Amino acid sequence: MPKVKMPRSTPALDMTPMVDLAFLLVTFFMLTSSFRAPEPVILDPPSSTTEVQIPKQVFLIMIDKEGRAFVEITNPVVKTTVLKQMMKEFKSPGMTAEDIKQFGGVGPVGLRVAEIPQFMELESTERTSYEMRGVPYDTAAAKIKNCELYYWAYFTKIEAHNDYKRREEEARLRNMEFDKSNYIQFAIKAASDAKYDRIQDIINVLREAKVKEFQMITGLESAPE
Amino acid sequence: MAQIQESGGQGNGKKRAKKQSTQVDMTPLVDLAFLLLTFFVLTSTFSKPKVLRMIFPEKLEKDNPNVKPPEVKNGLTILLTENDQIYYYNGALNKETEMIRTDYTKKGLRSILVERNAPLIDKLKKLQIELGKANENDTATKNRVEREAKEAQIASKLVVLVKHSKDATYENVIDVVDEFLITQVAKYFVVDEGLDPMEEELIKNLENE
Repeated sequence: MPKVKMPRSTPALDMTPMVDLAFLLVTFFMLTSSFRAPEPVILDPPSSTTEVQIPKQVFLIMIDKEGRAFVEITNPVVKTTVLKQMMKEFKSPGMTAEDIKQFGGVGPVGLRVAEIPQFMELESTERTSYEMRGVPYDTAAAKIKNCELYYWAYFTKIEAHNDYKRREEEARLRNMEFDKSNYIQFAIKAASDAKYDRIQDIINVLREAKVKEFQMITGLESAPE
Repeated sequence: MAQIQESGGQGNGKKRAKKQSTQVDMTPLVDLAFLLLTFFVLTSTFSKPKVLRMIFPEKLEKDNPNVKPPEVKNGLTILLTENDQIYYYNGALNKETEMIRTDYTKKGLRSILVERNAPLIDKLKKLQIELGKANENDTATKNRVEREAKEAQIASKLVVLVKHSKDATYENVIDVVDEFLITQVAKYFVVDEGLDPMEEELIKNLENE
């Protein structure tokens, strides 16, 4: 007598479309998100109720509890141009073109200009453990215009303008709409427990370079009624 | 696609080895995909910090005797000192000035600012209501309200000076400026000179009382 056979059916669910979708989204987020370079110090900025977003492009000055200053320019092209001018100004020993190009992506730096070439020669894994002593700045009225921080701000201010003009020209040639808000602005990110005197010193250096407006980066706090 | 249907069992005991399923288990793949997805979604939305705008006027030429720092006669001066202490006084500074102690809470600094800035707050609130009532396409009203708000801010009589001792922290200053934004103070200055000796004495006297 032949056995009665039940038709075998596998209860498998076809997950292919779901995986497709998941990977599509992963790809999208991977491409749209830009990774920030590792920061040399971890700062805990104070919070405020403001809801103004950080400008797209900034010259960022990070100030830690000890008053060390780190600078970062979020536009790599401007950053490398400013570096070249800094090296010329301070007669720094030369760097390879490859190192200069890489400098755009190393994140905030708190180094004297003279130190930058040897810093760039390190492997990227060694750089994170490099002891940064901060960009030098001076508070004495006579010396304020000779300090390195002043020149970072000064050159960035000029390059910010050049960058704006360049993009405006490009947009005109391509007949595209030009985003006027995309101007490099000066931002400060400082530790909550940093002495305000140190921050005021740094602000004074930048005021010397004719910077008047500062975007203080803060954490979010819920607004009062 | 990724799974191959197993051939229907041709009931023959000898060929059992061929029945092995060739299905690929996609669960770990999906797990990984969603893990990455979650990571990117979270990191890309939460990394946008907020900014507080601060404007510092151009430096006064110290060597020029004709340029004098502006005097504030009818204002409020806030002094930030060590250990998150905060003091203030009204008007000009002299021996009779009444130094008052306050704090960063809602009942402290904010209530003082709200009280002192009441005319401007009222005016701005009225304009806001007017704007709310206006038609969306009514640009004339919008422009007028905007202009009047600006005029009210310029005409505001309250001027606040913020001074700090060398031990005040960055957080103290940001907190105070944030209070100005909340209470819509239009004219405030964070000056970079430290406390006056007379101010220090007044604080000392207040503490000793």
